[in-house]
Amino acid sequence: MTESPASLLLVLAVLLPFTGVIIGLLLGGRHVRTVALTTVALGLAVIIGIVWHALDTSTAMEYVLGGWSPPLGIRLRADGLSVLMLLAVAVVISLVSVYAHADFAPHDSGKETRAPPVFWLMLLAIWGSLNLVFVSGDLFTLYVALELLTFAGVPLVALDGRGETLRAALRYLLFALLGSLLYLLGAVLLYGAYGTLDIQLLAQMVRPEALSWAALALMTVGLLAKTALFPLHIWLPPAHAGAPAAASALLSALVVKGSWFLVLRLWLDVMPNVVTLSAAQLLAALGAVAIIVGNIVALGQVRLKLLIAYSTVAQIGYLFLMFPLVFGLAFAGLDSTQAVAGGMLQTISHALAKAAMFLAAGLIYLTLGHDRISDLRGVAQALPMTVTAFALAGASLIGLPPSGGFLAKWLLLSAALESGQWWWGAVMLLGGLLTSVYVFIIVVRSLAPAEAGWMPKTCVPQYQQMAVLALALSAFLLGLAALSPVDLVQLGRTPLSLLRGTP
Amino acid sequence: MMTTVLFILALGLPLGALLACTSPALRRALLPWLWLAPLPSLMLAVLAEPNAAWSLGNAQFAVHFALDRPGRILLGVAALLWSVAGMYAVTWLHDQPKQGSFVVTWLMTLTGCVGVFLAADLISFYFLLAVLSVGASGMVLQGKGEDALRASSIYLGLALLAESFLLAGLVLLAAAAPNDSLLIRDAVAALPSSSNRELTMTLLLIGLGIKAGLVPLHFWLPLAHGAAPMPSSAVLGGVIVKIGMLGMIRFLPLDVAAADFGLPLAAIGLFGALYGVAIGLTQHNPKHILAYSSVSQMSFLAAVVGMGLTTGAAGTAVAVAFYAAHHLLVKGALFLAVGVIARTGRRHLLPMLLPAAVIALGLGGLALTGGALTKYAAKDLLGDGLAGTVAMISSVATSLLMLHFLRTLLQNTHVDSNARPPNGLAWPWLIMALASVVVPWTLYFVIPINTMSQGWAQALAPSALWDGLWPVLLGVVFAIGVERWRHRLPRIPTGDVAVVLHPLGRTNTALGVLVERLDSFARRWVVATMSLITLAILFVWGLAR
Repeated sequence: MTESPASLLLVLAVLLPFTGVIIGLLLGGRHVRTVALTTVALGLAVIIGIVWHALDTSTAMEYVLGGWSPPLGIRLRADGLSVLMLLAVAVVISLVSVYAHADFAPHDSGKETRAPPVFWLMLLAIWGSLNLVFVSGDLFTLYVALELLTFAGVPLVALDGRGETLRAALRYLLFALLGSLLYLLGAVLLYGAYGTLDIQLLAQMVRPEALSWAALALMTVGLLAKTALFPLHIWLPPAHAGAPAAASALLSALVVKGSWFLVLRLWLDVMPNVVTLSAAQLLAALGAVAIIVGNIVALGQVRLKLLIAYSTVAQIGYLFLMFPLVFGLAFAGLDSTQAVAGGMLQTISHALAKAAMFLAAGLIYLTLGHDRISDLRGVAQALPMTVTAFALAGASLIGLPPSGGFLAKWLLLSAALESGQWWWGAVMLLGGLLTSVYVFIIVVRSLAPAEAGWMPKTCVPQYQQMAVLALALSAFLLGLAALSPVDLVQLGRTPLSLLRGTP
Repeated sequence: MMTTVLFILALGLPLGALLACTSPALRRALLPWLWLAPLPSLMLAVLAEPNAAWSLGNAQFAVHFALDRPGRILLGVAALLWSVAGMYAVTWLHDQPKQGSFVVTWLMTLTGCVGVFLAADLISFYFLLAVLSVGASGMVLQGKGEDALRASSIYLGLALLAESFLLAGLVLLAAAAPNDSLLIRDAVAALPSSSNRELTMTLLLIGLGIKAGLVPLHFWLPLAHGAAPMPSSAVLGGVIVKIGMLGMIRFLPLDVAAADFGLPLAAIGLFGALYGVAIGLTQHNPKHILAYSSVSQMSFLAAVVGMGLTTGAAGTAVAVAFYAAHHLLVKGALFLAVGVIARTGRRHLLPMLLPAAVIALGLGGLALTGGALTKYAAKDLLGDGLAGTVAMISSVATSLLMLHFLRTLLQNTHVDSNARPPNGLAWPWLIMALASVVVPWTLYFVIPINTMSQGWAQALAPSALWDGLWPVLLGVVFAIGVERWRHRLPRIPTGDVAVVLHPLGRTNTALGVLVERLDSFARRWVVATMSLITLAILFVWGLAR
């Protein structure tokens, strides 16, 4: 528990992006991009500062707003999980900004268009609300952060204003609202019963009883709707496939992770003693179905962006496999840190890899003028770096070493076998095989030579390709995190010990 | 000190060249120098002190490399083949368009291959194996047309399937290892007493069995070896098929008797040894015949491993490596020969064909060739029982298959009877042919193999010579018989059991349609809202339990 001046960085991490939004709104259309890019640069520095501090002190950072301690006041807290997520999101946001630099430039004619300023403002809003999700210490602030996240995501879906994307955005909005409703209901139940929404205080008070079961179930399901875990993925494919590439990358890589992170917080930190293994198994079972259905449907897609969107449906499934592994180990009195680390790595490597894939798909679309998978001839000739990036990102999703996906798979597989739940391991391996099929198809198709005399529709600037490659490389080399001497994941956290029967 | 430098160069030179390939200009310029990349590995195999090791990393995590005796034998001969095939590739690809991507896949496979031979910890083994598989499927893709695409996708699919089984096995191995050690040596030593011994062994054997081309998951092998360009086929057929064997040597606790796994492995192996020959006899492309011969030979070796595992014979690893080294040299050389003879006219055929005949029959154990020595080394392990008998039958069968191969070669000479093979192809082939006789003899005198007594007297004793003659002679007799009844032989497509992939593909499509329906059903508003409520109830139920 340190409250040093450095803890102010937590406040900055949240406030800076929102300040950017307000300044951008005030200055208006033509300056929004400049404001956004400046904010991203400053924000990145803040996040680096936070990571530096965390590595340096090896403790969780805390900041109590206005000196009012909970339950009255609001506490911001960044443990190892938060720091990792903050960093991953900052990396994705920065590289997506580099990529989007040209795509969302202010219009040359001086006429104000809607898409560029909206994109940049929403990028900042998403960043701010995600950071708030990661550092919030109480369930109501988390609710606000989640709402902000949803409301920032919806305009990104409908950025080009076509009827089709508007429908997708509306679908997303309505279903996410249903989710919020359930979450709020759960939070109210908890507040009614225990009189606080502060995570640390709740964790000490909450008892396994009907009321907390109902609260946890409602909140979890609400969050699953926002995360689009099968069968609640009604809104994801049209929303993620319809948006412009940079927006899709934000939505698929980051936005769904916000609500997932909250599920993680709820289960691991708020109510670990309410959770049962059966409930965790149910969560993973949904994940397993998501992996299989998502991957198989992805294989049947005709368009590249829809394929990647369905791949996200599958990858979201992976994020939930960790729950029975963590609790299985904890209930058996074994060390569950490996499983938590595996789940976190899975999330981060998916964020990086999926952002790279969507951006790559955007460049492919620009070059070919379409994204039909059956005709990707000439892509490798025109965009060698992008195809390499796609292959590397794919290798990370498949889980080939040394990618982050591999390390995650290794940790989760160890946890599955150690806790005697080999079936979740089998699902992971099967999912990897299915993923490899479509990655292979796309890479091989794009390696095919173009017809003689074919010219790319648009010449893609080199720096866009570099941004994509940088994302893909970070995903691919994330496995080298094993070399890191500091165990960031467990920083400021007490290992779960849930041996049943102990008071 | 020198060993460390050699370790770094052996791994670093191919890797460095691979990284240099990011520049398209360098990529094509590297082709004439491919033969250099494996030379540090060769020097390492020849010069390193016994049980040399090298590691990289810190106390938290390090990668380890080591050179044990079986690894050393295989690394040396593999490096030789890689180098000679690299020379051959220069001429072979002389006027081909896709030189750049050939170089990339070649170097990637080489990096993975050297790495797998040297890897001493579980993670680097798995990592380098993945590099190798992706590279090798790229090599297959360099072949021509739809066949190459199909072969390459089947290759990669099966390789990744194998690696999934392996990964699960490796995770279990790691869990059983003492003190969180990730060293293969420690993990394998702890395996016999592990509580998950059966599951671990099963997973490892399935994974390695696919890699070794054991029937019925062998079909990727003839497809891939047939489709790849000739120099690639040589390293695939010579070196890459040995990975499964190397894995078995590395990961099976061979010094602890385990009949429950040894006997089934031996049975599958002996069946495959005969099955490969039977299908090979129905083939008409010399490359496919060689590939089926590889299926047969690798199965035979798996049987040797199986028998060694059954009795817990500690000498199995070196005997298997010795046998595999001979096969590596011969099979690599013969693939090179196919390309040479296709460019040789009938008038200049003899100096090219004669070495091919000698070393091909060496696979059947022809006296005085390296093959006779390797059969001698395997004999002790197989014993005199049923396995020994099947081994003798397999010798005869291999001779028969090799005669069929030679006959097919004769039908594939250049149409112009005055054509001479280009020197850039002929010399590498002749070097490999010479090496495949000389190297086994050298190894025989330098390295103590199994329990056999080694010396001129044993190798040249009349009984040994006779043992190396009668299977071949019997093979000749059968070959004449097969020749008479050739038209009665069924026509079996290359990849034999791969034909079931077609109906399997249809089932997959049907499954795909079904899953897509499920998906669009789940994404209806009514259904999604109902799921929301149902899930909430289910979670309450799950929490209340």
